[in-house]
Amino acid sequence: MRLRSTLHLRLIAGAMALLLPWAGSAAADGLVYVLNSGDATIQVLDASTRQERSRIPVLREVHHLALTPDGSTLLVGDSGANEMLFINPATGELLKREALSNPYHLGFSPDGGTLTITSLRRGQVDVYRWDGSKLRLAKRLDLPGMPSHLAYGPDNKVVYVTLQGSGTVVAISLDTLEPLWTTEVGPEPAGIIWHKGRLLVAIMGSDHVAVLDPATHTVERRISVGRGAHAVFPAPDGKLLYVTSRVDSRITLLDPETLTITRSLSVPGGPDCVTFDAQGRLWVTLRWKGRIGIIDPATGAMETQRVGRSPHGILFATTPPAASAATN
Amino acid sequence: MIGWLQDSWDGANGWIFETLVQPALYALGLMAWAEDAFEWIDFVLFGLVQVLVVYAICRPLEAWKPVEPRSDQRSIRTDILYTCLSRLGLLPLLAFVAFAALGSRLSGWVAGSGWVPPTLETLFPLLREWPILALAVYVAVLDLGEYWRHRFQHRFSWWWSLHAIHHAQRQMTFWTDDRNHILDDLIGAAWFGAIALLIGVPPGQFPVVVVILRVAEAMSHANVRLSFGHVGERLLVSPRFHRLHHGPLGSGRDGKNYGVLLPVWDWVFGTADFRHDVFTETGDARLPEAMATGSWGQQQAEGFRRMGRALAKGFRKRAARRRRTA
Repeated sequence: MRLRSTLHLRLIAGAMALLLPWAGSAAADGLVYVLNSGDATIQVLDASTRQERSRIPVLREVHHLALTPDGSTLLVGDSGANEMLFINPATGELLKREALSNPYHLGFSPDGGTLTITSLRRGQVDVYRWDGSKLRLAKRLDLPGMPSHLAYGPDNKVVYVTLQGSGTVVAISLDTLEPLWTTEVGPEPAGIIWHKGRLLVAIMGSDHVAVLDPATHTVERRISVGRGAHAVFPAPDGKLLYVTSRVDSRITLLDPETLTITRSLSVPGGPDCVTFDAQGRLWVTLRWKGRIGIIDPATGAMETQRVGRSPHGILFATTPPAASAATN
Repeated sequence: MIGWLQDSWDGANGWIFETLVQPALYALGLMAWAEDAFEWIDFVLFGLVQVLVVYAICRPLEAWKPVEPRSDQRSIRTDILYTCLSRLGLLPLLAFVAFAALGSRLSGWVAGSGWVPPTLETLFPLLREWPILALAVYVAVLDLGEYWRHRFQHRFSWWWSLHAIHHAQRQMTFWTDDRNHILDDLIGAAWFGAIALLIGVPPGQFPVVVVILRVAEAMSHANVRLSFGHVGERLLVSPRFHRLHHGPLGSGRDGKNYGVLLPVWDWVFGTADFRHDVFTETGDARLPEAMATGSWGQQQAEGFRRMGRALAKGFRKRAARRRRTA
């Protein structure tokens, strides 16, 4: 007989980090939050020195985050623990935890009144109403097919969710809270953003970004970027789009007007989520290496540094909410 | 040092995943499972480390003070195969495939009911501030669950038919820890999953603790004349304590020393035998030879056969009882 345990290897540093002091004050250049999904911690880095200021222990598995519309609170979903953590983004102080079913990806609507949360594991999408301080579950939709990432239309009327298991995107009305339509986009779609009247969908089971016309529900174009296309991130100044590809380990730069490739950067380690600092550098989680990369897009030079295991979501805390919404 | 270890571990894990596994997943159209596969490699690598650490500790102990000579190398080799299948991820992979869809449906149903499953930390907030204590509580609760599963393995004849494979081994060594019927392993995974749903799953950032637990479990099967003494025998399952369970007092319904890690449960539920100078022979002469010395496949087949017979016998008994009362 043996104790049948699913205890997996995690980093002993996760335990060691519990001994580190909490951050109590804001950093001059802001803070960077890294969600270490593999060792159950939120790592808070000083953006200027890149030194770790604190680690916030979580119960299970953190993947994605979102800033509240006023930028005052950072929401981090701990999917395995059925918890949402509320953090002061300026100081790294944990404000509260709230029981909430299996939060994976999350994002606020442009008007700030709605928070949509996907649950990859249980095949559901939850739509919450947000009054500035509290969440109220308005609707739970059963959407088998591994609901993954989400994006809103600019008119706040529709939220679009990729379904990895079925290779589709579903549009959900924020008025009726019912699905409006579903359309096939390609195998295992992941990241999705609204861009100039179209939806850009990263097709992880293939090598491209699908350009989906939400009016006709058809894919009108496919942009080949690299195998395992995972997510799309607009630069804060709107001058570029960045696409991460996890199999080919690269970031592809797209012209936002023409959607043509302007450059491709080699980023070993499985680039996943991206955030931007004030200098326009990309801070990228390297999922399979337990590191983050800081990339100068002008030169393509990348420095890496160790974080926790399987880092996933990342956010430069001074990033405007609109730029960070839904894709981290 | 720790940073270097972390980096090396992640480097190896990441290299295997990026070079071998992820391209295969991509080619097979299984990228949606990439994150699970990454965790899987972690599991396999960690399993390898566990096997090496257990071997490094237990093998010298067995050579130093064996209870009996290692005369049946073939049986030991079969047990090594069990360990490889179990620790290097193949059987857990089968369990995962079998239960992943079921687990998703179940958690969806639970969420749909409006109930948010708790964790021990939400029930006892103090545990949040004391993660090591939280881990200890999780281990104790799970060990209690394993104690009762073990009791049931002996209590129900169909279940005993499967578990008998574990008890048939006459040449018990530290490798015997993983000698279980595949169906028994699947039931164990479901059992664990049900407990996990009730209390959450334990925090996993304590690999050193996990390795210690694994060594303790393997050591309890080791062929070593080792007792932990009057006090120690009551704190942790020793080779002597567990060997007695594999001897004449163990098989069937009225066994002793069911504890997996903590003997306290045997103490509480009246099944403990703390005689610290008794080192019995292991095995059960009533069990078929194929279960004791057969190949992995023969043992598995025999387990299924005996379970079928036990179930059929149970049905016949119930039918006869119904006829008598009608």
